[in-house]
Amino acid sequence: MPISALAHRALERDGLGPIRDKVLAGTRITDSDALRLLEAADLAAVGALANHVREARHGDLAFYNRNVHLNPTNVCVATCKFCSFARPDDKAASDGYTMSVDEAVEKVLSRRPLGITEVHMVAGLHPTLPWDYYTELLRRIRAAWPELTIKAFTAIEIHYWAQRYGKTYAQVLTELRDAGMDTMPGGGAEIFAPRVRRKICDDKATADEWLEIHRTAHRLGIRTNSTMLYGHIERLDERVDHMRRLRELQDETGGFQVFIPLAFHPEHNMIGKAFPKPTGYDALRTLAVARLYLDNFDHVKAYWVSLGERLAQAALAFGVDDLDGTVLEERIYHMAGATVPQALSERTLHELIRAAGRVPAERDSHYRILKVHDTPAPVAAHA
Amino acid sequence: MPKLRAAAISYLNTWPLTVGLEGSRRIEVVKAVPSGCATMLENGEVDLALVPVGALAGKDYEIVPGLAIGCDGPVQTVLLVGEQSPVVWDEVFLDTASRTSVILSRIILDDMGVRPRYTPMPSEEGVAKAVGTKGALVIGDRAFDVRKNQVLDLGREWSRLTGLPFLFAVWAARPGVLRPEDVHELMRAAAHGLGVRTELAQRFARERGGDPERYRRYLTQRIRYAVGPYELQGVEAFLAKAAEKGFLPPTKLRFADDHLRTVRTRRKVSLETALQKGADGERLDADEAELLDEKAPILELGLAADLRRRALHGDGVVTYIVSRNVNYTNVCTTACHFCAFYRPRGHAEAYVLGRDELARKIDETVALGGIEILLQGGLHPDLGIEWYEELFRWVKARWPMINLHALSPEEIWHIARTSELELGATIERLVASGLDSIPGGGAEVLDDEVRRRIAPLKCSTDEWLTVMQAAHEKGLRSTATLMFGVGEEARHRVNHLVRLRELQDRTSGFTAFICWPFQSMNTRLTPSDTSAHAYLRTNALSRLVLDNVPNVQASWVTMGGGVAQAALHMGCNDFGSVMIEENVVSAAGTTFQMDAEEVERHIRDAGFHPARRNMKYERLMASAGAAG
Repeated sequence: MPISALAHRALERDGLGPIRDKVLAGTRITDSDALRLLEAADLAAVGALANHVREARHGDLAFYNRNVHLNPTNVCVATCKFCSFARPDDKAASDGYTMSVDEAVEKVLSRRPLGITEVHMVAGLHPTLPWDYYTELLRRIRAAWPELTIKAFTAIEIHYWAQRYGKTYAQVLTELRDAGMDTMPGGGAEIFAPRVRRKICDDKATADEWLEIHRTAHRLGIRTNSTMLYGHIERLDERVDHMRRLRELQDETGGFQVFIPLAFHPEHNMIGKAFPKPTGYDALRTLAVARLYLDNFDHVKAYWVSLGERLAQAALAFGVDDLDGTVLEERIYHMAGATVPQALSERTLHELIRAAGRVPAERDSHYRILKVHDTPAPVAAHA
Repeated sequence: MPKLRAAAISYLNTWPLTVGLEGSRRIEVVKAVPSGCATMLENGEVDLALVPVGALAGKDYEIVPGLAIGCDGPVQTVLLVGEQSPVVWDEVFLDTASRTSVILSRIILDDMGVRPRYTPMPSEEGVAKAVGTKGALVIGDRAFDVRKNQVLDLGREWSRLTGLPFLFAVWAARPGVLRPEDVHELMRAAAHGLGVRTELAQRFARERGGDPERYRRYLTQRIRYAVGPYELQGVEAFLAKAAEKGFLPPTKLRFADDHLRTVRTRRKVSLETALQKGADGERLDADEAELLDEKAPILELGLAADLRRRALHGDGVVTYIVSRNVNYTNVCTTACHFCAFYRPRGHAEAYVLGRDELARKIDETVALGGIEILLQGGLHPDLGIEWYEELFRWVKARWPMINLHALSPEEIWHIARTSELELGATIERLVASGLDSIPGGGAEVLDDEVRRRIAPLKCSTDEWLTVMQAAHEKGLRSTATLMFGVGEEARHRVNHLVRLRELQDRTSGFTAFICWPFQSMNTRLTPSDTSAHAYLRTNALSRLVLDNVPNVQASWVTMGGGVAQAALHMGCNDFGSVMIEENVVSAAGTTFQMDAEEVERHIRDAGFHPARRNMKYERLMASAGAAG
């Protein structure tokens, strides 16, 4: 469906006609186009354009999955200044923790009655855990629950383990895959620009290393997600630069499943002392521009834990097609001051999606549709 | 069609519910004592009855929602009397006219550790015999005349025991006989009867003797006719206690549903034409507005509303005010189903703000650069116009620079009624004592089909608009509001907007419009769509339909800053107030907070220039450093 007369009128008025023409013709927009759109301050018009692209790809479907989070440890040697989750150790005096393999496996298995399809597993960079801990954890979950998709470990962890255990990225990834890892989350990308990285996360994997790990994963047939942590010290052109590097790698490998902008949360971390939380407007324009710029990405996700249910629902009109999932027991954002619930029921997700005039579609971790809920039948109240 | 037969008590406290049924074409009233009403309904002699709540036990009656005869605190006409203290009573004569009060007496005495023998007896005889260690229950009008050494007011005792209101009787019907029109007829009659309580008191005094003022106070301040969440808690607590003690079988209450529809035939209109008209500032009729509400995609509504905002406020300035919301009392007799803020008068959390606390709040507001106090409260049965006049004069004398944005139409209506004044005179006196402008609260949905369902005892659409018109004609400016998501439909929302627009054509008295979704936590009304999408759509539609209202305010308090920023791009040009205090919405679960810096950051970040305003929407100063 072409964009409306009112949208044309607004885009012409704001001088966005040339960008609109590219989008409608299916031509790639440039970095300066993306910057221009981010700065346009005409949310409804940019949103209408992003919505056009979104509906051309997915119609009215809005995706979600049934997932749980597991953070086996929050002990981390890195000192990222935006993080409220990490602790230097798990000694009795601190609130750092490390689950035993048994505890972690049991925690995942206890979620079985909820009918989930994915566990999202991310940990700190623990200085003393043996390599076996991770492979054992994967192997045990895989054996006990073969049909569960395991989405595990960020590029930051992969990089740290490659160094610590003297392995190549490919070796680490292959061993994890063989132990049960199905796909990788996109965390740790933050902002690629070296200026920003030096200031906020100087001691972890660089942008090149992050990208190289995802490239390697894609080559090994492991599909991955991608993220961008925005709303702290970065400039708008650095956001575009970040998306450019993702778009380039995607051209090369096609291995990214989704792009997820993550709003920085300011409580209990270093940067939060100087910077407030980015506003909801910033979230909506960033999502809309991502949808327009990342023409080789199938999906753009509004992670409701980061945005709140209200804003995430609104985002479904601004280019977004995915809300993440039921997310049982989110910790990382909540330790940074998120006030949203720690989980949403499938019913609530359906209600949010339907109230936005979309059709809920449950997906698996690889964005294969499991069930389109096109009739508003009551769903069993999970979680 | 045969009329429904309704049994009702002949006591004075029933008159406000029944006087409006005289001459009704749907319902015929038969008089009886409370226990008689229950029996007649049980035997099928009548279709519905004002039955004692005790008679609901074990029955599947349908209860008419929203209306009852109850009290919170002393009731005056349900008494245990005797010569000596109840603690020595060994026998109590129970009024045979009563069912509920009999059980209530036993619960109250039981709780005091008094366990006398209970003997049924007509009250005249019982009262006469209540000497020595004997007590008697007396209910109804007869209780006005009882003179005894020891008087236990069961309304007061119940309130002391539970902190809850008590309901003596409700309209209940045999299942399946009540039609929505009948429910509306009962509501209509109640609305009429409650409005003529002073006349009823005078009539009662003429017929029976006694002081009409005493009866008036009884009808307006002792007896409560509304049923909201707390009243229901009161009934449920009573039934539960009675069941626990084995006085009554366990009971679950059932309410008659109210789903009357009056559907207007709609003209066929095209969505595109309607959108284009809206965007170009042409007046939308109700059919076009309804179509837009139901069918227009969110961004289309947003783009059209944004064009209107640009036409009306082309300089990209978004205004806000530094104001404090002060709720002077949470005592309210209206008991709306959607309200989590009100408390009955006898409740442990009921309050009326004292001068010290008010002074502290206003001083804090001034210290934060505040220029306005938004003063609103419940409909307190004891506060007459003099209380408000003194309060306003005191505020104005101590803080002459503070603007008093106070009293929603509902409160003004209430003050007029309580003080037996004409509406115009009421407003004049309030203005003379310092009232500057009035908030548009209490509008909810200005459609009586919806109002009767969610707030049966709130003023009607016409009454709300009448107060606004009178206020505008006296030179006051006001805002207008809409609370959506209470189960209303597009046509109701459109009726609301069209009625506001009609009045605005006549008076130009509305400065701004604000809508927000119903916040349902701690209330018993089930919300319909209250999502961010519904908010943004309703907001944009309002900008289009209200072509004669200059400002539209984004409600970040209920929706959060991000959604409110999106609303700035979809029709809004104002960001409301810095939040120093707000109680009503937060009682229902929403707790967003922002100071001036944060409000300005949100406005700037969304691409606008912030400016402070006063309540007339005049800009005070443009803030420095506004970025485009």
